[in-house]
This record gives sequence, structure tokens and C-alpha cells, in this order.
Amino acid sequence: MKTMTIKLAMAATASFLAMSASAWAGQVVWWTPNFNEARARQLVETFQAANPGVTVKLETTTTDGLPQRILTALQSGAAPDVIDVQHAWVNGYAQNKLVVPLDEAVTERDDYIPAALQYNTWNGKLWGAPYRIETHAIIINRGDFKAVGLDPDKPPQTWEAFADAAKKLTVNGKSGFAITGGGEVGNTIFRSLPFMWMLGGGIISDDGKKVLVDSPESEKAVTFYTDFFKNHLSPSSTLENDGTANRRLFIAEKVSMYQSGQFDIQSIRKENPKIDIGVIPVPHPEGAKTAVILGGWSLVVPSSAKNPDEAKKLVAFLSKSENQAILTDTFPARISAMNAERFNDPILKVFKDMLPFGRPVPAHPNWVQISQAYFDGIQRILLGDESVKEAMDGAASEIEGLL
Amino acid sequence: MQKQSTGYLFILPALMVLGMLIAYPVAYTGLLSVTDNAGNFVGLENFRRVLAARATPIAFWNTLWWVLGSIIFQVLFGVMAAILLNQNFKGRAIVRSVTLVPWVVPGIVAATTWAWMLHTEFGIINYMLTAPGLIDKPIGWLTNGNTVMPVMIAINIWKMFPFVAIMVLAGLQSIPNDLYEAARIDGASFWEEVWYVMLPQVRSVIVAITLLLVIWALNHITIIYAITRGGPANKTLITPIQIFRTAFDGMQFGQAAALSVMFFGVAIVIVFIYIRTLASNPEEAQ
Repeated sequence: MKTMTIKLAMAATASFLAMSASAWAGQVVWWTPNFNEARARQLVETFQAANPGVTVKLETTTTDGLPQRILTALQSGAAPDVIDVQHAWVNGYAQNKLVVPLDEAVTERDDYIPAALQYNTWNGKLWGAPYRIETHAIIINRGDFKAVGLDPDKPPQTWEAFADAAKKLTVNGKSGFAITGGGEVGNTIFRSLPFMWMLGGGIISDDGKKVLVDSPESEKAVTFYTDFFKNHLSPSSTLENDGTANRRLFIAEKVSMYQSGQFDIQSIRKENPKIDIGVIPVPHPEGAKTAVILGGWSLVVPSSAKNPDEAKKLVAFLSKSENQAILTDTFPARISAMNAERFNDPILKVFKDMLPFGRPVPAHPNWVQISQAYFDGIQRILLGDESVKEAMDGAASEIEGLL
Repeated sequence: MQKQSTGYLFILPALMVLGMLIAYPVAYTGLLSVTDNAGNFVGLENFRRVLAARATPIAFWNTLWWVLGSIIFQVLFGVMAAILLNQNFKGRAIVRSVTLVPWVVPGIVAATTWAWMLHTEFGIINYMLTAPGLIDKPIGWLTNGNTVMPVMIAINIWKMFPFVAIMVLAGLQSIPNDLYEAARIDGASFWEEVWYVMLPQVRSVIVAITLLLVIWALNHITIIYAITRGGPANKTLITPIQIFRTAFDGMQFGQAAALSVMFFGVAIVIVFIYIRTLASNPEEAQ
């Protein structure tokens, strides 16, 4: 019995040593979301062929609960070597010294969309390598436009014209323009915050020192956004709708226009091929420029990575223009990569045109709670409990305590 | 003395497991509540911040409504269902099993199904009401500030009353037949049987179940979180969800711990008052 136990213990130790040894020998563990898997595998093969000493172990993640999972891995000290993360998370990791700078790995910075680099910069250093970017535009049902006498090729440009179009489209039980007022907070931030930016407002200032949500500009933008619901141009279910719900309503032909990214196009085409899909730019106030939130993904190397040098080599490889063009699900962060054939689909043109107007969301340690306070205010307006002014003043005093 | 310490030695492993699973988390929550994210001692700062948050008093009152509304009707419907299921009728076994269905369905599945059924545009409930013309236009069950909390409570009642029914039914079945016979000889009607025989006999069962229900309602998350996440505009935000949101969405573990500590205190007071007033009667106290 005793020798048996000792033998077992020895076997366990030996296999443990063998396992950890294999993890040490030039192996890079790369966490990538499942939607990247096929393309990532293809790139890994190319990389391994060019770097014989290094092997890459691909592990796929799912977006549900991903921020918590990554944070746990980073804080536990047992993180993989390279992780795909959303731009907006990078700053928090950098401030807490959970990732290492990637200045050497990311070169030719002139070739990048500036906002993508801005997201990943903190304290003068670059902490993430952006490879994928995307923004919203307005997806429209061209058939509905024609049915009410609007020309889908000459879409409304200004807020006023857009609201008019939404009013005309609201006929026969259809809603002209669906806004979001439910689901995850981020849905409504992505869709309403840009309207504030267009007028020079915002939720908080870029340096995170001032509350802007109760400024007249911000309140005007919130009024513009919430009026779509108050004037019955957005579905009566608005308060329970997130981006996915709006897409479902669009597919069911109950909504003629809604804001989203290019990732929705495919599922609309598949589920309701009858709809003639069009994409138009996000409208802007008279005499001001449009704006959108720039979203996307970056690669980071954790401070606790076992093979940081090889990891950086992989990041440098993935940051090459031709490789970004392969890996991204939407658009690449590098301007030159955009020339690749797959980004020439005409339906993507407007999404591409919106990219230069993309801005990062403010980086603040309490951003989640700040955006929640703002979102609660939006819901109070939509519920009819408070006026825009009352709701935004209330949000402002809450946010003040969070700065 | 020697014997007693040997006894302690035997229960030591169990004590250690209990300690790790219960005492450590409780103590650690207490520690977290007075530290910031970096682990520095901040005194009562977390408590101050969490009490200053606009959502905190809203969540407190919502929790009170949620618990009271849920408990009263869960017990009422549960006892009624138990009395019904205790009667002799054809197909009783099937009805007894079917009654259990809501309780057996996993919470997250039930919640998601209800969310779809209650949806303003796609929901079957609005369809069933509008199709025969009972109402002109769909009701925003989950988007109207006046209906959303009652709807959540109704779902919770639907989910839990079968449990009450089955437990009370078990109690009813242990009542000796003599009591009924004696009551009938005295000319008791059915309702008098319910009132003077059944209810007094299952009183202790009801008291114990109610305490369980109070605790479950107090730390409930699934139904509300899956359907509304506490919205719209915090209309269905109850304190456990606020704690969850503060910790896992906002990553403010210190503040979440501070809220947990206070909530723990309130919960203990409620449970204590309950045990003191309802659960104790002269016979049961010793």
C-alpha cells in the first residue's frame, strides 16, 4: 500500500514536471475569441513555419463573461502569453501593471487609425496592439424608404432630416428608427454618446476630470435620442431592446432603420433575404461633423506571461498589414490592410467611411459605474418619470461622486 | 477531559472544511469591505460611497416589496394548493406531479422563457390579449414602471408555490384521521376543518417554510437578473443584484463587500424578528 502511494506520487510529480517543461520550451499560449479561430489557426501555421523554434498553442474564448475571465487570469499570475481583448479594457490593465508595453512590437504607427492607438496608449507607452476596428452606421430597409417616397440613395444627412425620415417611415405598424433602451449598458452608450460628441458634449471629459452629461449640448443630444421613443418613432418595446432585439425587429420588418455594425449584415441576409439592405452614415447636427464610437480588439501580453519575448514576436507578426487583413472579423486597424479584397464589398463602404469619425470612449477606472448612472437616467426619461434635464442633472450628481 | 479533546480531534476535519467554506469567506468579505481594490485599508470609505449611491435606497425598498409580495402569495397559494391536492379526486397523482413543474424547471430557463413571453412585440401574452380584442394595444409588462415589479413577483410566486404545496401536503398527510372524524361528529364544515384541524396541525411546517422562503427571496438573483438586470431605471433592482453588479460589472469589490456586510446585518435582524414573533409559541419555546 505504502509503495503504491509513493509510486503514484512519483508518477504524478514526473508528469507534472513534464507538463510544465513542455509549457516552458518556447511555447506561446494565445487566447483568441471563438469567432477568430479558423483565421487564427491559419496565421499560426504561417508563423510557426517562419519561426521553427516557437510553437503557438491556440485556446479559444467566448465573449460571454470574457472580461471577468481575463481579469481573473491576469490577476492570478497564471495568464497565457497573448490575449485578444477589446480596446477599451487595455487601459485598465496598463494602469494596474497587468500587461507589458508593446512599443517594439508595433511599428509603422502612421499606418494606423489614430483612435485605435489612442485606446492602447497610457503614460506615453503602447500597451496593446490593435488589429481590429469597427464602428456603427445606420442600417436601413431600402424597400421601406421607397414605399414612403424617400430616396434611399439620397439618405437624410442632418438630425432634422433624419427625424423627418423616421416620422415618414413610421406607418402601417412599422417603427421608423429603433433606439435601444434596455439590455447591457454598452448598447445604449454606443448608440447615444456619439450624438453628444457631435455637439461638443459628452458623459465625462476626455481627461476624466469633468462631468459633461448635464451640459446643454449633452442634454440637447439626449433629447434628440430619446425623442424617437417619445414621438413613437421607436418601438414601444424600446426599454427592453438591446442591439440584438433591434436587429430581430429589423429582420421581422417591424423597424425601418437602426444603428449597428457590419456584423449584423450577414445574419439579416441569411434570415430575411427579402429585405433590400442599405447602410447610411450616422446623421449629424446642422453644421457639425458626425461621430461614432470606435470599437475593436487588440492583442496584449500579460506581465505574468511565461514567454514574453516569443509572445512579442507573435504580436509583431500579427500586426503586419497582410496578417491584420486576415485576422480581423470587421476592419483592420491598419490603413494599408484595408486595401485587401475582402473589404471591398460595396455594403461595407459606409462603415468604412465612418471609421475616421471614430473616437475612443473615455478611459476612467469607474467607467462602468459612470455609464450605468447615465443609462439609468436615459431609462428614467424613457419611462416618463423625469424630464431630460432632471434625469441628466441626477446622473451628473451621481457621476460627480465617481470621478 | 481527555475524552472530550479526543472528540474534538475527530470532528476537526469537518470543522476545518466548514471553516474554509463558511468562516473564511465571511471574514474575507468583512476585510474586503474596509479595503480598496489595491488592498489598502480605507476605513469606512466603501460604506460611505455605497450609502451615497442613488441606487442603494431604491434597491432597499424594492427588496422589501419583493420579499413581502413573494412570501405572502407563495405561502397563500402553496397552502391552498396543498389542501386541494390533499382531497380525494380522480387523477390526483398526475395533478400532484404537474404542480411541481414550475419548481423543477431551472431558474434561468424559466426566467428567459418568461422574458420572451412577456416581450411587448413578440410575446405570446400580449398576443393572447390583443388577438381576441381584450386590450387594444400591447402592454409593456417589462417596460412599464408600474407593472415590472409585480410581474417579477408573480413569476417568483409561480416558481416557488409548488415547493410550499408539497411540503404542506406532506404535513397534511401526517394528520391522524381521528381528528377529522372528531370534527365531523361535532358537525364541522369543510372550511371549519381547514381552519381548526388542518392549519393548526401544519403550523410548524408553514413557519419553517416561510423562514426558508424569506431567506431565498432575500438572496435571490436569477429571475430578475435574467429578465431585467434590475432595470428599467432600477425599478426592479434589489440589493443582491446591486451587490452582484457592483462587484462583477463595476469591479468594485470593496464597495460590494461593504454592501454585503450591511445587507447581512439587515437580513439577520429580519430573520431574528421573524423567529421571535411568528415562530415562537408557548409550546415550542422549550
